[in-house]
This record gives sequence, structure tokens and C-alpha cells, in this order.
Amino acid sequence: MRNSDPPLLEVKNVSKSFGGVQALRSGSFELGRREVIAVVGANGAGKSTLIKIVAGVYPPDSGEIRIKGRPVDLHDHSVSRMRERGIEVVYQDLALVPNMSAPYNLFLGRMPRKWGIFADKRLMRDKTREVLDQLNVRTVQDLSRPISDLSGGQQQSIAIGRAIAWGKEIVILDEPTAALGPNETGEVERMVEEVRNKHGTSFIMISHNLEQVQRLADRIIVIHHGITSQEFKRGKATADRLVKAITVGI
Amino acid sequence: MTDSSARKRTGGFLSPRQLERIRDYVPFVAIALVILLFWAISGDRFMSVRNWTFIAQQTPVLMLLAFAQLMVVTTGSIDISIGSSLAFSAYVGALGMLWLGDGGLVLGIAAGALVGMCNGLVISLLKIPSFVTTLAMLIIVRAVVIIISDGTSIYMTDGSVSGGTNISSVAAPWLLSLGKFPAIFVAAAAVAVLMWVFYEKTLFGQQLKAVGGNEKVLRLVGINVTAFKVKVFAAAGVMVGIAACVNLARAGAATPQAGLMIELDAIAAVALGGTPLTGGYGSVVKTIIGALTLTIVRNGLTIAGVPPSWSQIALGALLIAAIAISLNRSKVDVVK
Ligand SMILES: Nc1ncnc2c1ncn2[C@@H]1O[C@H](COP(=O)(O)OP(=O)(O)OP(=O)(O)O)[C@@H](O)[C@H]1O
Ligand SMILES: [Mg+2]
Repeated sequence: MRNSDPPLLEVKNVSKSFGGVQALRSGSFELGRREVIAVVGANGAGKSTLIKIVAGVYPPDSGEIRIKGRPVDLHDHSVSRMRERGIEVVYQDLALVPNMSAPYNLFLGRMPRKWGIFADKRLMRDKTREVLDQLNVRTVQDLSRPISDLSGGQQQSIAIGRAIAWGKEIVILDEPTAALGPNETGEVERMVEEVRNKHGTSFIMISHNLEQVQRLADRIIVIHHGITSQEFKRGKATADRLVKAITVGI
Repeated sequence: MTDSSARKRTGGFLSPRQLERIRDYVPFVAIALVILLFWAISGDRFMSVRNWTFIAQQTPVLMLLAFAQLMVVTTGSIDISIGSSLAFSAYVGALGMLWLGDGGLVLGIAAGALVGMCNGLVISLLKIPSFVTTLAMLIIVRAVVIIISDGTSIYMTDGSVSGGTNISSVAAPWLLSLGKFPAIFVAAAAVAVLMWVFYEKTLFGQQLKAVGGNEKVLRLVGINVTAFKVKVFAAAGVMVGIAACVNLARAGAATPQAGLMIELDAIAAVALGGTPLTGGYGSVVKTIIGALTLTIVRNGLTIAGVPPSWSQIALGALLIAAIAISLNRSKVDVVK
């Protein structure tokens, strides 16, 4: 397959520093269609920086990104551009507006308009219900309440729901289950499988939970001190081997 | 109804949800108490048709300025330049009428929009906090008014007395009658309805609250917050421009001293309306109540014969009391 079709996403030697801090020295990986990959690494290794570059939050200092073989113009690299290409992110700190409703958050940045200046409230409410149903979340009753009234897990499902609702090609999850209990974690994992199987969506998942990573990911990318140093296919790395790669880099 | 039953049931201890519902009514209770208080003190001198007509004429300018402030405050910023902007807009509007006839008044609204846009551009592009930016604009714009007016006023006349060679007056009976009771009230009510739709129902209004809630998130999903903020300050400027036209009608003159310190009243009206100055929430109806409360208190204290300095102290105390009661501390994480 690799010979005929270019991969969905190719990231080559991207780097990024903030002032004096080299957050990412060299990040490279590929992502195929319907693939779930995991990015693991110690705290501060550069995982979030790597996926924020892919998401268009900031352009890399160097390196290149290709989508379906076509290079992304990094001078015109923005979140809106990447969203238009079907790439969505659930950020580590969720990226929700606490004082707004669940539908508003779900449609953030792409409000359906009515008569040009109003929001199409009904459409938003129906779609929100649909997305929450897909995640098996039936506990959010009043969709007009600000989401700061919801539990952490419910807020998480809004954030994840937003990503899967719009991320037609790639959904990036930055530590999606770090704040969840075992039931909700299972629900998220089930959802990843389901969306991948149903819609052919690809996932990039950042997680510190190695068991989860081994369960879900087709490939595991290890990032050490800002460099994507190693890659393991599913079942090819024991937990001990991964820990060693994460901590020592070999 | 729900209030009293809730209180009976819980005997002083209220759930957060109930407290929130009660807080919603604070501005309404406050204004009712204020009215009853002054009625008790001054009787018919306060509760007369004449006095209420006066209040109805006095409130609109403050209300419109409070609307401008409400938009800005909802995003978590503040605009303290509006007093100077009011004088500038009124003066430019009056000049416009001198030069172009009645239609020239719209230049006044444009002038307000211009000041607002400058505020927005400086804040977003130079990343200078709104308080500092608009403080500087307060000083600069006031100086500009004094320079262009050369310290003189432009008077609106009803046309019966000819101004002669005096170029600093415009015959505009229609404008003067707009500044009197039924007309000024109807005009203000019309703007209030538009503002309500704009703020409570449109996507723009929702985005005001979202920016106040978490601006960083909006940037993260690719919304151009910088451009939006410029629009917000410009929209507030348009509202100040409208207020300036109403003030011109009401005062019958564009004076370089117009609107001195009125920015503080506008902020106070917004705060009395229960809007947290940290942004994210707000209400047009309650802002109207806030502006009305402020006007009534000032009027009532004057009628009761309280000396002006003591009135100011009473107003300040009222402001703190109203905010202390209505502020929902669970929704405000940091006090700045
Ligand atoms: N916007 C920023 N400005 C300055 N430094 C940053 C910024 N973002 C990240 N860094 C720094 O870059 C390095 C990598 O950060 P990054 O968030 O990518 O790590 P991470 O692998 O996601 O860590 P964690 O597991 O803790 O989430 C860290 O040293 C961090 O302090
Ligand atoms: Mg991270």
C-alpha cells in the first residue's frame, strides 16, 4: 500500500523553540488512513508541541508536513486551515469556553448561521444530542446551561465529541483520559475504535498510560528530549522496553 | 414565588442554584427599594409625574453609554475613554450639522466609531491593556475636543431667534424636541430593543461572552480574536456616538466639557446591573435597571436635600453593596 498511495500525514524533522527553550528538536512520523498511533514520552519531551504544530497552532521553525503527499504551506499554517482539512484536536486542557453551552462549544469556530447574524440553535442542539449519544453520554440534560456546570467527564465528552464530529480525517487526542475514571476511559477507547471502523478516521493519541497505548495503537512513537527516537509496531514492545525508550532514549 | 418558598424550606441555607436565582433578582430588588426609600423620604416631590418625566429624560444618555460599556466589559476589557469620546462625538456631530445640514449629525456617530476603533487597534495590535489604552484615549480625545473647539460651544437653537453672524449655532428644532420627554424616551427604548437583540440573540453577542469566558480557547480553534476585539470597541464607539447625539439633543449644545467623569457612571451602571467586570456574563435588561437606579438615586438624594458630596459617598456605598450581593463568586476565579 505504501508504494502506491502516499500516507495521509507525513511529518519530517519539524523543530520548534520558544525563546531559548528547544521544545522540539526533530519530530518525524507518518500516519496512514484508519491508523491509530500513539506518541509517548516523558513530561516536557515535546509531545504537545509536536501535535500543536500538526494542528496549526504554530508553524515549525524547520521541517515539513505533507498531507496525502502534498506539502502544507507553512507560511500559511493556521488552525483554521488544518480544521478545513479535517484535522481536529482534543487539547490537554480541553479548550472549552466554560461560560458557554455545550452546543456553543461543539460548534466553536463554525457556528451555523440563520439570517446571517443569528445562530441556528435547533440545528446546534440536535447535532449536540447526536454526538453525545454516539459517546453514550446521556446524563447531560439541560443543553442550555454553561458547561462549567457539567462534571469533568461530561466536559471531556464535549471536547472529544467536537473533535470526532468535525475531524473527518485525523483526530488528535492529547492525554484524553488522564482525568477520567475507568468507565469513562473505557468509553473513550471504545469510541476511538468505533469511529475508526465506521468513518475510517485516523487517530494520534498522546498518553502516559502504557497499557492503554499498547491496547489501542497500531504503532507507538517514542519521543525523547524533543526527538522522535523510536517506533514500535503493535505487539513488538513490552512495557519494560517502552519505559526504557521513554526514560533513557534507547 | 419560588424565592419565598425556597427560603422557607431551607431556613437561611440556600443551595448554589437557588442563590444564583436570587442573585438574578438583585438589581430589580435594589431599584424597588431605592424607589420606596425616596418615596418615603420625599413623598410627592419624588413620586410626581414631573419628577418621573425628568428621570425619563435623564436616564437615556447614561443607559446608552452603559450599553457601550456592557459590550466591552463582557469581553473582560474596560473602556474609560467614553466620557471624552462623548464630547468629541457630539462636537463633531454639531460641526457636521454646521457644514452639511441636519444629516451631518451622523458624523458624530462616525467619530465615536473612530475613537472606539483606535482603542481596539491599540489594545489588540500593541497588546496594551484596555484600562491603560482607554485612559490614554480619555486624556488625548478630551484634549482634541478642546483644540478643535477652541474652548467654545456650538448651540442648537429652535430657529425662532436668528443666530445672526454667530456661526457657533445651528437651527435644529427637531433635534431639541428629540431631547424632550416623549421623543427621547421612545428613541432610547428603540435603541434598547435593538441592543437587546444584538447582545442577547446574535452570534456577535454570544462571542462577546465567549471572549470574556476564555479568549485563549477561541484563538486555539482558529477564531480571529484580534479582529473581533477591534469590532467590539468600534461597536461600543458607535453606541457612544448615538449617546452623544442624544446628549446633544438633551443639552442643546456641544460643549468641550460634556461627559466629564461620565465613564465612571457608565461602569457603575453596568456593575449595578450585576455584570462582573471580569467578563463572560451580562444582561441588557439589568444594565438598563442599573442606569435607571443610578439616575434615581442621584435624583432622589438631590430632592431630599442631601449635599452633593454626601450624595457621592452614598452612591459609592450603594455600588459596593450591590456588587457584593450580586457577584457570583463561584464564577469568578481571580479578583484583579
Ligand atoms: N508556548 C510555550 N512557551 C515556552 N515554552 C514552551 C511552550 N510550550 C512548551 N514549552 C516547553 O517546551 C517543552 C516541551 O513541552 P510540551 O508541552 O511539548 O511537553 P509534553 O511532552 O507535552 O509534556 P507533558 O507530558 O507534561 O504534557 C517543555 O520544556 C515546555 O516547558
Ligand atoms: Mg503535553
